[in-house]
Amino acid sequence: MVSEKSHLGDQQEPGHEDPNADARPLSMPTRRGPRSLPPIPSASRTGFAEFSMRERMREKLQAARSKAESALLQEIPTPRPRRLRSPSEKELETEFGTEPGGKIQTTQQEDDSQSYSRVKFRDSVRKIKSKTPDEEELLDDKDAVDFLLGLDRGAEDIVAVRPADYESVHIRLQKEKELLFIPSRRTVPTYKKLPENVQPRFLEDEGLYIGARLEVPRTNQNIMENRLLMQEPGRRWFGDDGRILALPNPIKPFPSRPLVLSQEQDIKAELETLYKKAVKYVHRSQHMIGSGDPPGNFQLDIDISGLIFTHHPCFSREHVLAAKLAQLYDQYLARRQRNKAKFLTDKLQALRNAVQMSLNPAKTPKSLDTTRRAINEYKSEIRQTRKLRDIEQEKDRTLLKTIIKVWKEMKSLREFQRFTNTPLKLVLRKEKVDQKADEEAYEAEVQAEISELLEEHREEYEQRMDEYRSAHQQWKAWKKAQRTKKKKKKQGVEEHPDDEMEEPYPGEDPVKPVPPEPTNQAVIEQEVRERAAQSRRRPGEPMLVPELSLAGSVTPNDQCPRVEVLRREDVKRRSVYLKVLFNDKEVSRTNSRPLGADFRVHFGQIFNLQIVNWPESLTLQVYETVGHSGTTLLAEVFLPIPETTVVTGRAPLEEVEFSSNQHVTLDHEGVGSGVPFSFEADGSNQLTLMTSGKVSNSVSWAIGENGIPLIPPLSQQNIGFRSALKRADAISSIGTSGLTDMKKLAKWAAESKLDPNDPNNAPLMQLILVATSGESYVPDFFRLEQLQQEFNFVSDEELNRSKRFRLLRLRSQEVPEFRNYKQIPVYDREIMEKVFQDYEKRLRDRNVIETKDHIDTHRAIVAKYLQQVRESVINRFLIAKHHFLLADLIVEEEVPNISSEGSGILGLRLFKLAEQKRPLRPRRKGRKKVTAQNLSDGDIKLLVNIIRAYDIPVRKPITSKFQQPPRSSRTFSEKQAASPTTHSPTHSADYPLSQVLVRPFVEVSFQRTICHTTTADGPNPSWNEELELPFRAPNGNYSTTSLQSVKDDVFINIFDEVLYDVLEDDRERASGIHTRIERHWLGCVKIPFSTIYFQAKIDGTFKIDTPPVLLGYSKEQSVVAERGFDPVRSLSEGSYITLFITMEPQLVPGESVREKTSDMLKKFDSQEDEKLLQATEKFQAECALKFPNRQCLTTVIDISGKTVFITRYLKPLNPPQELLNAYPNNPQATAELVARYVSLIPFLPDTVSFAGICDLWSTSDQFLDLLAGDEEEHAVLLCNYFLSLGKKAWLMMGNAIPEGPTAYVLTREQSHYLIWNPCSGHFYGQFDTFCPLKSVGCLIGPDNIWFNIQRHDSPLRINFDITKPKLWKSFFSRSLPYPGLSSVQPEELIYQRTDKAAAAELQDRIEKILKEKIMDWRPRHLTRWNRYCTSTLRHFLPLLERSQGEDVEDDHRAELLKQLGDYRFSGFPLHMPYSELKPLIEAVYSTGVHNIDVPNVEFALAVYIHPYPKNVLSVWIYVASLIRNR
Amino acid sequence: MAEVHVIGQILGATGFSESSLFCKWGIHTGAAWKLLSGVREGQTQVDTPQVGDMAYWSHPIDLHFATKGLQGWPRLHLQVWSQDSFGRCQLAGYGFCHVPSSPGTHQLDCPTWRPLGSWREQLARAFVGGGPQLLHGDAIYSGADRYRLHTAAGGTVHLELGLLLRHFDRYGVEC
Repeated sequence: MVSEKSHLGDQQEPGHEDPNADARPLSMPTRRGPRSLPPIPSASRTGFAEFSMRERMREKLQAARSKAESALLQEIPTPRPRRLRSPSEKELETEFGTEPGGKIQTTQQEDDSQSYSRVKFRDSVRKIKSKTPDEEELLDDKDAVDFLLGLDRGAEDIVAVRPADYESVHIRLQKEKELLFIPSRRTVPTYKKLPENVQPRFLEDEGLYIGARLEVPRTNQNIMENRLLMQEPGRRWFGDDGRILALPNPIKPFPSRPLVLSQEQDIKAELETLYKKAVKYVHRSQHMIGSGDPPGNFQLDIDISGLIFTHHPCFSREHVLAAKLAQLYDQYLARRQRNKAKFLTDKLQALRNAVQMSLNPAKTPKSLDTTRRAINEYKSEIRQTRKLRDIEQEKDRTLLKTIIKVWKEMKSLREFQRFTNTPLKLVLRKEKVDQKADEEAYEAEVQAEISELLEEHREEYEQRMDEYRSAHQQWKAWKKAQRTKKKKKKQGVEEHPDDEMEEPYPGEDPVKPVPPEPTNQAVIEQEVRERAAQSRRRPGEPMLVPELSLAGSVTPNDQCPRVEVLRREDVKRRSVYLKVLFNDKEVSRTNSRPLGADFRVHFGQIFNLQIVNWPESLTLQVYETVGHSGTTLLAEVFLPIPETTVVTGRAPLEEVEFSSNQHVTLDHEGVGSGVPFSFEADGSNQLTLMTSGKVSNSVSWAIGENGIPLIPPLSQQNIGFRSALKRADAISSIGTSGLTDMKKLAKWAAESKLDPNDPNNAPLMQLILVATSGESYVPDFFRLEQLQQEFNFVSDEELNRSKRFRLLRLRSQEVPEFRNYKQIPVYDREIMEKVFQDYEKRLRDRNVIETKDHIDTHRAIVAKYLQQVRESVINRFLIAKHHFLLADLIVEEEVPNISSEGSGILGLRLFKLAEQKRPLRPRRKGRKKVTAQNLSDGDIKLLVNIIRAYDIPVRKPITSKFQQPPRSSRTFSEKQAASPTTHSPTHSADYPLSQVLVRPFVEVSFQRTICHTTTADGPNPSWNEELELPFRAPNGNYSTTSLQSVKDDVFINIFDEVLYDVLEDDRERASGIHTRIERHWLGCVKIPFSTIYFQAKIDGTFKIDTPPVLLGYSKEQSVVAERGFDPVRSLSEGSYITLFITMEPQLVPGESVREKTSDMLKKFDSQEDEKLLQATEKFQAECALKFPNRQCLTTVIDISGKTVFITRYLKPLNPPQELLNAYPNNPQATAELVARYVSLIPFLPDTVSFAGICDLWSTSDQFLDLLAGDEEEHAVLLCNYFLSLGKKAWLMMGNAIPEGPTAYVLTREQSHYLIWNPCSGHFYGQFDTFCPLKSVGCLIGPDNIWFNIQRHDSPLRINFDITKPKLWKSFFSRSLPYPGLSSVQPEELIYQRTDKAAAAELQDRIEKILKEKIMDWRPRHLTRWNRYCTSTLRHFLPLLERSQGEDVEDDHRAELLKQLGDYRFSGFPLHMPYSELKPLIEAVYSTGVHNIDVPNVEFALAVYIHPYPKNVLSVWIYVASLIRNR
Repeated sequence: MAEVHVIGQILGATGFSESSLFCKWGIHTGAAWKLLSGVREGQTQVDTPQVGDMAYWSHPIDLHFATKGLQGWPRLHLQVWSQDSFGRCQLAGYGFCHVPSSPGTHQLDCPTWRPLGSWREQLARAFVGGGPQLLHGDAIYSGADRYRLHTAAGGTVHLELGLLLRHFDRYGVEC
């Protein structure tokens, strides 16, 4: 409706808007023309004359109605313009004139329109006349309705003309008055508002708190009051003071959202914003929620204003006294400021008053009991306060006395020496006191004290009396029973010792106690008076106020004696300066200032230290310069590091005292320091003073341009991942400094005129009260979350006790015992206590050295140390683990590239499609690598392909004299295997044709799964079998890191299967076979799983670790000729096995961890030259670009975590002299012995646990101390020994099998190169096919690094001539000459001889333990020990050690045969370096000696330990099983 | 002894004028709360939406709290950053919301804001990037007088959090 109205009004032309009544019907047609949609122009209407009148009439009416409608509609919204325009007659006329057609119509319908127009006219007249628009509207509406209705029915019948209703204003007012109540504006008298006969109460005057009322104008209040009185006469709206009840003003005096005019206005610190440039995101740490790190520069302002010496060697005697006087005076001033005596006196007075008050029963309505208690409390307090006051007063007095005494001494000294050195002058000002009042006060005080004391004594006495009486009664009773005769006398003797202890009045008779008051009063009075005289000012004596001034004059030089002049000149020559040390580094120093005659030095310098780290120490060093000679350090002053709330401008100057203990004797008047001197002429009363003084300084944090204190964030104080969230919690960040400063708070409270009665302010007021009252207890903590305690569900202890939570937390912290722990029970009761046992035990044992497993204490300590190192490494590793690289998260299949090598050029590939299919030609298919994330148990298999072995030891017939060759059931096959040429020269005669050489099979054990191959025949068997072993990751966690830490080894043991005929009865031989299978261990190969994991496959021929002596077996040298390995075999002897090991499916080795860790390790600081480090990076990058697979090592991490250039590790170091003496003429033998010594140092077995990620290189002495290390340390030590032996030796980094990346040592002999394996002590020729080293990355010498840039990296195919730059890229060259790096190795290695007795003891213990173990392993059988054999073996072991396990076999065998001829035995010595007991047990176990279950088997076990220098122990274990031949 | 699991994800963000967005988030709890496992804070990847204007992160949140009281119920605060074509990062918004306190899945929308700075800073932001940042991040959730700041609205971060509560009924807390 509304929109329509406005629409119409807007559309109309101003000219047509004329609402004139006459014009309306006339102008209608023209108006209608442009407006109504159906085009019925007036002209056409005239043309239709034959239209009936009625028809035309209807049309007219319609037009009129629509007109009226529009007029009605348009009048309402726009009353104003209409009124202005309505009288324009002119327009009307023109309208008439322009419409001739309309005239005709008018005449025709005059009658109809007559009435209408008349009404209209009158309306319009009225409209013009009417004043108020309201009326007009009203009428208009009515009019329009009338009009409409009228038209419908016939206007004349309905319309009536009436005058407007009008009510006079007076009448209306009259009426209103009757209806309405208008409250008066006049003030209501108070009595009306209050109940009768009640005086108004003003609560505020009575001291109650009344909040400020809201400001309301007085008239409004009056109106309200009047209205309320009228409306509700009950007066319940009025308070006691006769005012309307009102709440306190809720309006805050300041707007809660004031207009922030500009950004620069003081903005609170926490809302500070800082414009930060868009920066490239540098990945700093994964924890970063805070608004980035604050800018790194912080500033510490150190203001050093001056220095005052309280003693200096150049002090004259007078100076000493002056310093003393000044000190005393300072003390006096301080005491006077505190004025404790006055305070205590006042307190005493107050307490006395309180006692008086409470003694008056009229005023205290409380119960008698409480009053008495209160009085007692008061009294005891009075006693204490009095004591304290007396002490204080006495102190004051003695201080004053001392001051006067020192001043007198000084005066006499000045007189004596006839010159003055110091301007000090003490004036004692006397303050007059009113003699009489003073005396009265004094007397009153004395009297009060006396009476109190008397009372105390009386009380005490009464108490004693009570005690005495009861005691006396008892005693009496006892006495009566005991003895009645000497009653009286006994009382005197026996009671006294008891009583005298406590009785204050020992002179009294305990039997008849007489109240002692009269006699004692005098005594007490005397005491009190004496004390008062001593500690207090006598009445009438003037108060002495000492004043120290510098008004005195100093005697000029020319009037002084010579010594004094000398002294003064000496002082003048001296000057002092201070050095500022920040974190033990000198950062700046003050100017050198001459020492003044008053021994004060003014510096007035402010140092602004721009710092990055949180300060750890701040030291000032006081230096003194004498003339032009050198400076001496007088003393160090340690400044406290300011609180974070101390900022520049607020920090007060503080005086920090220092002193030095230097001794100075001077030849002039100066008294010196640390030298006794005396003021007396006779030299008595000696004094010794040390140089001392005070530095006045202030240290504070600077304030930045925008008012932020430049304080390093608290998180910098302790390194570690502290998130910004925690920072937000710290109170310090809130800035409570204002709150903690009570004085300021109190001042503020006073200034802002806080209403102390306002309950809102109550806590604040109380706080201020407590703070300002001085002595009271102020809690020095601030409690956040006050109600926390009350709302806690449980206590902290209970929370911590929860086993579930503990387990969850430990798991998430990745504590080793709980790492990857799965499925923690929901209820505490389901968690066993023993889950934590291991963990708790480990925590407990961290510092306890367990000797049980180690036997040898030194090794136990070392193991402990290594454990700690390992833990710290693991922790670092854990941090790195959570640090993901892109490759960890995204595995992208490589997009096949057109030019990539694998697929070749696209065209070629297409060509390949057309190629002929050749199904018989096998083609290698690349295996797909699997990321380890979605694997589970059983998915991964370890495939071990055992292909063949060479040179397996063969059985020796156990001399035909004693035994028939074993009758094997498979003689036919043996015949095939044993060729006629395989004859040992020594035993060829004994070999029957049917003798089988050996029937070896291979057993692979991994993670307790054991697989074995079939049995093959002969010393060079070929199995070609694939064994499949399942792999289980620890705790079922197949993540990369977990796989990397798998410590399991793959054991490949080679056994000989021996069949024994045990058929007892020869007669049965025809009908049955009864044999027993025995297996004899021949050797083993051990390959760590991690090697397989990292290398993906292991393919090669490995040397089998065979014991040096295998009883019953021998190596067939002649086989060599047959197999055609002559050139190679000649150098190395042993058995070999060809293996191929891989995993199915192939796992992606997590190489990234190593990279990440090395990245992380790089962050450790280094002491190397920055340039050198850059060069190493460049060198490594260049090498990696050319040969990414070759190992290139330039820097390593030492044991303290610092990066060290690798050549620093190489330096000639002396091997133990003992080894050198062994073969003085045979350098090769010496070298071998040294290599053997190095190999005897245990290999640190647990490097596997972090899979080489953390190669901490220890120096050789550390290595020898730790007695454990990995390949690098062995190699470094061996290389150093070789260097000292005069060989040309290099450290050779490369890949070996099975170790993977490792370090070997290369030496150059006269004509050839030798490759040494430092861990085993073996050496290989350069062209040895069986050399485990498969590739060479770089060579490291003591002064250079050479990287292999030849095409091949196999040692067989490379040239070791490092002088050729085309083959070897050297690190230091002409462009970067060797800077002469100092070595990190010690000058010389010192070897202690190992205690032989300890070794022997250890040997016995190991033997005992091993024997016990073997018995344990055979629970179902009896284990018999053959002592005879054992002792034989024991004799034999040292021989083995001497010969290093070579060439003794035959003698040994012969000897054994001689002694144990009728036994068939198998056994072997094991040799290993000693680290701890467990590997020894494992080794014995793995041989399977104990597995023999022949009923009459006997065992022999012998242990020998050969001690080498530095506690390196070589352990030999000989195990054998014997079966008696029947 | 009560336990709360907060498991869910930061789904993404809409309504930011910048396109490449990432989000740093953190959960802040009172002193009575102990984090048993999970990571308290983190950062999402940078997402550049190809279709539509919602940046999807789907960043997992998995926290396990133990609490001895209701005070300091976990609060989540977020910072949305944008990365421009040069790889530079700038702040796009701060946000804050409480972790819901009733069990079940909750869809949360966390509106964000960023300080506006002076007109110079605004101009610099428009042309060279960067922008004003709060020096003290705690104003995000504890700003009693934050009214002094002039801020501009950022977009909205959408979260989907699943709450598992345990043993609250034992201590008379109904949820």
